[in-house]
Amino acid sequence: MNPETEKTLTFFGKMTANLTHEVKNVLAIIQESAGLMEDITAICPLAEEKYQEKFNHSMATIKQQLHRGIDLTTQFNRFAHTPDRSSAELDLVDTVGQFCLLTGRFARLKHISLTAGDPDPANEKIRLTTNPVQFYMALFFSLESCLSALTSNTEIRVIPQKRGGQSPAIEFACTGEQIPPAGEFFQQLQAAEAWGELGDVIDPLAGKVECDTNDLRFWLIF
Amino acid sequence: MSDPTAILLVDDEEEFVSTLAERLEIRGFESKAAYSGDQALSLIENNDYDVVVLDVKMPGMDGLEVMDQIKARRPEMPVILLTGHGSTKEGMEGMQKGAFDYLMKPLDIDELISKVQEALGGRPESG
Repeated sequence: MNPETEKTLTFFGKMTANLTHEVKNVLAIIQESAGLMEDITAICPLAEEKYQEKFNHSMATIKQQLHRGIDLTTQFNRFAHTPDRSSAELDLVDTVGQFCLLTGRFARLKHISLTAGDPDPANEKIRLTTNPVQFYMALFFSLESCLSALTSNTEIRVIPQKRGGQSPAIEFACTGEQIPPAGEFFQQLQAAEAWGELGDVIDPLAGKVECDTNDLRFWLIF
Repeated sequence: MSDPTAILLVDDEEEFVSTLAERLEIRGFESKAAYSGDQALSLIENNDYDVVVLDVKMPGMDGLEVMDQIKARRPEMPVILLTGHGSTKEGMEGMQKGAFDYLMKPLDIDELISKVQEALGGRPESG
């Protein structure tokens, strides 16, 4: 990555990290205010039970959405710090979990489910020292390629693992009742613009892509 | 009957800290909100608190600087830090400098209370 691009990324990273910090402060105030309303009605319930029930229901929704917002902003704040270093050791289980949380909406828009798959418990700690921005880009272009090759009501699982017990790898496995035949899937996948971009970013990371043409899955191997 | 635990809450987010103070009062604590490091130090000078809960990121004097000054005046006073970032770096740095522990914002009030109790060595949290 050239120095100008790095500077631009660092600038956007700083601005975004600052903004997510502000949003977290807003969420903290909403959380405490909602908590205070709940405390007050616990001491002095509303006169009519049906209104108290509606209040409790709304409060539960507020709390649920607050947790969702807090989780998203926390992960996004971490993501915003990605350009801080050109090389860093990543915990791939953690990184894939964060990636799926932050990009799930792209899949949801196509009615496709995106989940972080459980790694083999035998090698739960899978670490990779790499360029974090380019690594994220490789994950993102892989996801975009899958999305262009799949139709609705299918599932993409992203599974960190050690390929052959040694090399850190990320598997993209596509399943579901409405998945296309393997030949058609790989044809669509490889025709996607994002697939070409994946090739561009994975080379400088000294990684490679390996496909299982029988089973609608492929690996990014590092 | 023992006196209620007195907590000083320090954060420049006034709405956040004053609401948190009210919620702690409902739970039987005596809590006071301060909105800057200077205000916190002046309150500590003139009042007794059992625990200080201190935001790390504040305009002017930041939380770690305020903690240094608290420790210089009242070395025995436990300080619980609040960090707003996804990273734990500032919290860990604060603990190395003498903070009892740290919590991330937004926080869970029950978690804060149990941390306060821990800081007081298991002493009942309220009067």
